[in-house]
Amino acid sequence: MEQMTAGNFVFAAILLGAAGFFSYNAQRLARYLQFGKGAETSRVTEMPTRLRNLLVIGFAQSKILRDPLAGPLHAGVFWGFLVLTVGSIEILLQGVINGFSYDAFLPKPVFALYTLSQELFALLVLGAVSVLIWRRLVTKPKRLQGPGTHQAEAVFILSMIAGLMVTLLLMFGFASARQHGMEPGLHPVGGLIGRAFGGLSDGAQFAGFAINWWAHALLLLVFLNFLPYSKHLHVLTSLINTFFSNTSGPGTKGAMKPMDLEAEGVEIFGAKDIEQLSWKNLLDGYSCTECGRCTAACPANLTGKLLSPRKIVVDTRARLLEKAPLLVAREENAAPVAHAAHGDGDAHGHTATGEHVAVAAPDPAIEALLGKSLLDHYITEEELWACTSCRACVQECPVSIDQLEIINEMRRNLVLTESRFPEELLPAFEGMEQKGNPWSFAPGDRAAWAEGLEIPTMAELAASNDTPDILFWVGCMGSFDDRAKKVTVAFARILKAAGVKFAILGQEEACHGDPARRMGNEYLYQVLAKAAVETLNGYKVTTIVTHCPHCFHQIGKEFPQWGGTYEVIHHSEYLERLLREGRVPMDEGDGERLVVAYHDSCYLGRYNDVIDAPRETIRRALPIVDLVEPARTKDRGLCCGAGGGRMWMEEKAGKRINVERTEELLATGADTIAVACPFCMTMIADGVTAKGATADVLDLAELVAGRLAPEATASAS
Amino acid sequence: MANFLAVAEARNGELRKVAHEAVTAAKALAGGGDVHAIVFGAPGIAAKAAALGECGASKVFVVEHDAFAMHNPEAASATIAAQVKAGGYRGVILSASAHGKDLAPRVAAKLGVGMAADVTAARMDGDAIVASHPVNTGKVVSTITLSANPAVVSVRPGAFTPAPTGGSATVEALASAADPAASRVKTTGLTQGNTAKLDLGEAPIIVTGGRGLKAAENFKLVEDLADAFGNAAVGATRAVTDDGWRPHSDQIGQTGRLVSPDLYIAVGVSGAIQHLAGMRTSKTIVAINKDKEAPIFKVADYGIVGDAFEVVPKLTEAVKAARANR
Amino acid sequence: MKIAVCIKRVPDMDVKFKIAASGTAVDETGLKFDMSDFDGYAAEAALQINEKLGGGEITAICLGPDTVGETLRKALSMGIDKAVQLKCDAVPFDGYAIAQALAAELKGGNYDLILFGRMSIDSSNQSVGPMVAELLGLPCVTAASRLDVSAKTSGTAQRELEGASETVSFPLPAVVSIDEGVARPRYPSLKGIMAAKKKPLEVKPAQLGAATVTVTRMELPPERNAGRIIGEGPDTVPELVRLLQTEAKVL
Ligand code: SF4
Ligand code: SF4
Repeated sequence: MEQMTAGNFVFAAILLGAAGFFSYNAQRLARYLQFGKGAETSRVTEMPTRLRNLLVIGFAQSKILRDPLAGPLHAGVFWGFLVLTVGSIEILLQGVINGFSYDAFLPKPVFALYTLSQELFALLVLGAVSVLIWRRLVTKPKRLQGPGTHQAEAVFILSMIAGLMVTLLLMFGFASARQHGMEPGLHPVGGLIGRAFGGLSDGAQFAGFAINWWAHALLLLVFLNFLPYSKHLHVLTSLINTFFSNTSGPGTKGAMKPMDLEAEGVEIFGAKDIEQLSWKNLLDGYSCTECGRCTAACPANLTGKLLSPRKIVVDTRARLLEKAPLLVAREENAAPVAHAAHGDGDAHGHTATGEHVAVAAPDPAIEALLGKSLLDHYITEEELWACTSCRACVQECPVSIDQLEIINEMRRNLVLTESRFPEELLPAFEGMEQKGNPWSFAPGDRAAWAEGLEIPTMAELAASNDTPDILFWVGCMGSFDDRAKKVTVAFARILKAAGVKFAILGQEEACHGDPARRMGNEYLYQVLAKAAVETLNGYKVTTIVTHCPHCFHQIGKEFPQWGGTYEVIHHSEYLERLLREGRVPMDEGDGERLVVAYHDSCYLGRYNDVIDAPRETIRRALPIVDLVEPARTKDRGLCCGAGGGRMWMEEKAGKRINVERTEELLATGADTIAVACPFCMTMIADGVTAKGATADVLDLAELVAGRLAPEATASAS
Repeated sequence: MANFLAVAEARNGELRKVAHEAVTAAKALAGGGDVHAIVFGAPGIAAKAAALGECGASKVFVVEHDAFAMHNPEAASATIAAQVKAGGYRGVILSASAHGKDLAPRVAAKLGVGMAADVTAARMDGDAIVASHPVNTGKVVSTITLSANPAVVSVRPGAFTPAPTGGSATVEALASAADPAASRVKTTGLTQGNTAKLDLGEAPIIVTGGRGLKAAENFKLVEDLADAFGNAAVGATRAVTDDGWRPHSDQIGQTGRLVSPDLYIAVGVSGAIQHLAGMRTSKTIVAINKDKEAPIFKVADYGIVGDAFEVVPKLTEAVKAARANR
Repeated sequence: MKIAVCIKRVPDMDVKFKIAASGTAVDETGLKFDMSDFDGYAAEAALQINEKLGGGEITAICLGPDTVGETLRKALSMGIDKAVQLKCDAVPFDGYAIAQALAAELKGGNYDLILFGRMSIDSSNQSVGPMVAELLGLPCVTAASRLDVSAKTSGTAQRELEGASETVSFPLPAVVSIDEGVARPRYPSLKGIMAAKKKPLEVKPAQLGAATVTVTRMELPPERNAGRIIGEGPDTVPELVRLLQTEAKVL
C-alpha cells in the first residue's frame, strides 16, 4: 500500500465531518422519538415473524411490488443501492487509504463478480431513476400529488441518485481507459465507456478519474446527510420500521390497543399531539415515502372526502419536527434548574416544565408553536371522522406504516377528552349504553326473529345442564334490522337442517361495543365488552359462530384483551365447512346460473384474511355459478362505507362510498351481489336502489338457504 | 255535594276552549254543588265572562287589570288561592295547559296542599277525589287519590268535552289579591301563532316523505298534507336528503332528528333501521307504501298499501274536511 | 353563579312496563334508570350559564334511595361541582311532599338560580319546581325553552304555549324549570367521568312533607294492535280518517 497523500488527509477530514454530522442527526431524530409517550407494546416479540417481515416486506420488497410499474422500478433502485453500498464502502476507504481495493482480500473470481455487479447495478439504478424522474415530471401520477407532498424535493433526490450513478459509471470508464488496477475484474460497462476516453492522455484520463471519484464520494456524503432533512429519510428508517411494525403480524392484525382508563393522573386520553402518540407512530412519520399508495386506496379520499391517510402520517412527522426541537431546547434550558423533576416525562405537560421555562422568559413565538397541536392545527376533526377503518391504507403501505392507529388514537382524544364528535353519534352512544344496541331498539325484542323457530337460549340449555356445540352470536343488526333478520333466519335454518346443536343468548346478548371502540369511545366499549365477556364466560362458551364480520373480529380478536378467549368462526367459513363436509342437505339440481359478484367485507378480508371461504361457499351452493370479481377485490376490495362507525354518521361530503362501490360491483355485469356482512348488505342494497339497478343483494346464508333440499326446508321451518 | 272554583283561561282578551273544559270538569266534580269561575284579563274581559255560564258556572269572578293582559302568574295565583280560602271551596280546577300547569302548583303551595296534575278523568269518592293521570310517557295510567282539602286539580285539555247546561252566570268584579303591576316575573311579549315553519322537534304531527316519492317535486304532495293538518311539519328520510331533495335538517332518523310526535305519517318510506330508530316512539304511526313487505308496516299502527300519488291527495282532502267540521 | 339543579332518577321509558304485585307501582326489575330527560337539559343549562359567566358553583340535588348516587355521579361527570342526596326509601308521588324536602335543603344555600326540569318523565306532574319557589318565596318561571341569564341580577326566558310563545323577564335569585330546546345535555367525557369519582357527594336525610296525594292503582292502557294494514288503495282513506279520529284521537 502506498503512503497517505495530502488528498487522503483532506478526505479523511471531510469523511469525519460528514460522519459526525450524520450521527448528530441520527441522535437528534432518535431523541425526538422519545417524546412519543403513548402506550406501546413490546416491539421485540415474536422475532421470527419480525425477521420474516424484514426479509419479505423489507428486503424482498413484497409490498412495493404490488404496484406493477413503480414497484419494480423502486425495487430496482433499492436492490441496486444494497449492492452498490458495498462498492461505496470501498470508495470511501480508498479516500483514506491510498489505493485501497477489495482486490487485495477477495479471490479473483469473486472480485470479478463484484466489479461486474457494481457496473450492472449502477446502470440499472440509473435507468430506473431516469424513468422515475420522467414519471414525476411528465406523467405525474395522481397518487404522488396532494397536500403535504414534497415534489421538488423528490425530483432533487432522484437527480442526486442519478448524479451518483453517472459519476460512478464515468469513474469506471476512466479507470478502464487507464487499465489502472481494474484488470482483474469484469467491466463490460466501464470498458465500453472507457473506449470513449481511449484517445485522452494518461494525465487527462487520471484527472477524469479523480474528478469523478471526488464528485461521487462527496455527492455520496451530501446525499447521506441530506436524507435526514427530507422525505427520503425513509431510506434510513423504513427497514427499521418494517421490523418493528405489527401491521402484518406479530400480534393480532387490526386489533385496537386497549387503553388503561384507570391510570392515575392522566389528563389527556387518546392523542391530541405527538406526546400522546407512541414512538412507533412517530417512527411511522419518519418512514413515510409519500408514495400515496395509502391515499390512492382510501375509500374516503377516493370519493372526495378531506381525509388522506398519507397526510395523517406526513402531518405527524411535520408536527414532530416542529415541536420536538422546541421541547429539546426547553429541556436543555431547564435541565440545571429541574433535574429532579425530570423523568416522569411531560406527556401532558405545560405545568411541570412550563415553570422552568418561565425562568428563561418564554419567547411568545415559541410558546405559540408549542401551544399548537397535531389535532386541529394539522389534522382536523372532519378528516378523522371520515375514516371507515377499512384498513386499505395499512394494507397498501410498502413500509408497514399504521396510519389507522394514529387516526384511532386521535378519535379517542376527541371523544374521551374533548367530547367532540358528530352529533349523530350521541344517540348511538346512548343506545349502546342504555339499550345495548346503537339504535335504541327495545332489548326485549332482541330475539323476536327467533319466535316460533324453537331455538334454545343458553339460559334454557344451562337450566337443563346441557351445552350446545356452538353459540350463534346474532349481533345487533342481525337482531333488529329487518333485512338482516332474514339473514339470521336463513342461517338458523341451515344450522337446523345440518343438525348442528346450537343456541343463542337471546335477551342476554348485547352489543359488544365494537362500534363504540371504532368511534373512539373506549370507555363505553370497555364497559360493554367486559359485560359480554362475563356473560360468555359465565356459560363457559368455547365456540361462537356469527354472520357479522364486526362481531367476528371483535369477539375473536379483541375480547382476549378482556379475558375472553373463544374459537370464533364467521358464518362464511362455517358454511364452507358444513358444505364441504356434506352436512347440509342441498338440492340435487344445478339451479339457476347466476352471475354473482362477491363483495369483500373489510373486517373479513383485510382484517382477518377470510377471502376464499366466502367464494368457496358460493361455488358450493350454486354449482353452476359464474363468479365474477369487481375491479378492486379480495384484500384490495373497496369498503362499503359503513365501517369505523360511519354507519351512524352522515356522509355529506363528496360522492357516497356505497354508490362508488356498488357501481364497481354492477360493472361486473353481475345479476346478484353476494355479501357476508349485514352492514355491507345495507350499504350495497342502498347503492343498488340509488342506482335504480335490479341486481339482488343477498347474503351467503341466503344463497345457501335458497338451495336447501325441499325436505330440509320443510322440517326446518 | 261541594262547591268548586274553576280557573277560566283567557288569552288576548278571549276565553280559550280549555276555560269551558275546566268549568265542565268542575261541574262534574261538584255534583249538585255550585261552580264558580275566575278569569283574569285586561279591562274588557268581563264582557266575555258570562259565556262560562253555558257550561255550568253560576258566578264568574272577573279580575281586570292592565297587568293581566298577559300571563301574570304571581298575582293570579295569589288571587286564586285567596279566593279559594275566602269562598270555602272544596277544590279548584285549572287546565293542564301551558298557563294552567304554571299556575296550579303555585296555588297548591300557597294553600299548603298536594295536587293532582293533568288528569284525564276525575270523580268524588267519599271525602277524596279520585283521578286518572297518565304517567311514564303515557305507557302507564295511574289512579290517584287526593285527600287534600281544598283540592287542586289540573285537567288535561280535550279530556272534558264542554257540555252546555243551558245555564247562565252572574259576573262579579274581584280585586287582585296582590298588585299585578308589582309582580317580579313579568311577561313581556306574546307571539301568536307559528307563522314560521314548525320545528320537527315540536310539531305534534309529522308527515315524512321517502324515496317512494320518486322526485323532489313530488314532495308537494307531502307538504299539502301537512298544510291540511295545520300543525304538521314535513320530514324526510336519509335517502331523500342525501339525494338533495330536501335539506339535511329535515332528516328524521338515527343520524338526523329523533322525533316522537302524536301522529307520524310515513309516505313512501320503506323503514330502514336508521329511519325507524328516529321515529319509532311516535304515538301513532301511519304508513302509506306500495310494497306491503316494507318494514315500516311492522311499526305502523295503521297501514295503507297503495300508491302514494293516489292515496295522499285523498287523505289531504279528508283531513281538510275533518278539520272544517270541528 | 351559585346554581342548584334538582334532578330525578327515572326508569328508561322505551320498554313495555309491567305492573308490580302491589298494583300501585311499575315492576322495576330489569328496568334501566337514568336522569329524567328534562333534568338533563337543566343540568346543561346550568353548566352553560356558568361557562359563559365564568366561575361559580353548581350543586346537583336528588331525592331518593342510595341508587340515586349513580344519577348524581352522572351529573357530576357532566361537570357539575358537587352533589347532595336527600335520602329517603322511596320518592313520594306527591309533589308538595317532595317540594318541602327540597326547600328545606335549598333554603340556606344562597343560590342565585335553582333549576328544575320542566317535569319528571315518570310521574309527569310538573309541580315540584314552582312549589319550591313558593315555599322559598322566590320568583319562578316554568317550562323555559330559552333561558338567558347574563348577569347575576336578572334573566329572561321564553315559554312555549299552545300555538304561541311568550317572553318573560325575572329578577334573581329565582327558580326556573327547563323545557327541551334550551340545550342538549353534553356527553360526559372520560375525563369528566374520572373527575366525578372524586367530587363530593353528601347524603342527608330527606325532610319530606306529609303526602296528600297517593297512587292507589296503576294499570297499562289498552294495547293497540300494532302493525295493522287496514287496507289497500285510496278507498281506505275514509277508514283511516275514522280510526285517527275515534281510536287514536289525533285528528
Ligand atoms: S382505514 Fe380506510 S378509510 Fe381510514 S384512512 Fe385508511 S384507507 Fe382511508
Ligand atoms: S403512509 Fe405508507 S403508503 Fe402512505 S404515503 Fe406513506 S409510505 Fe406511502
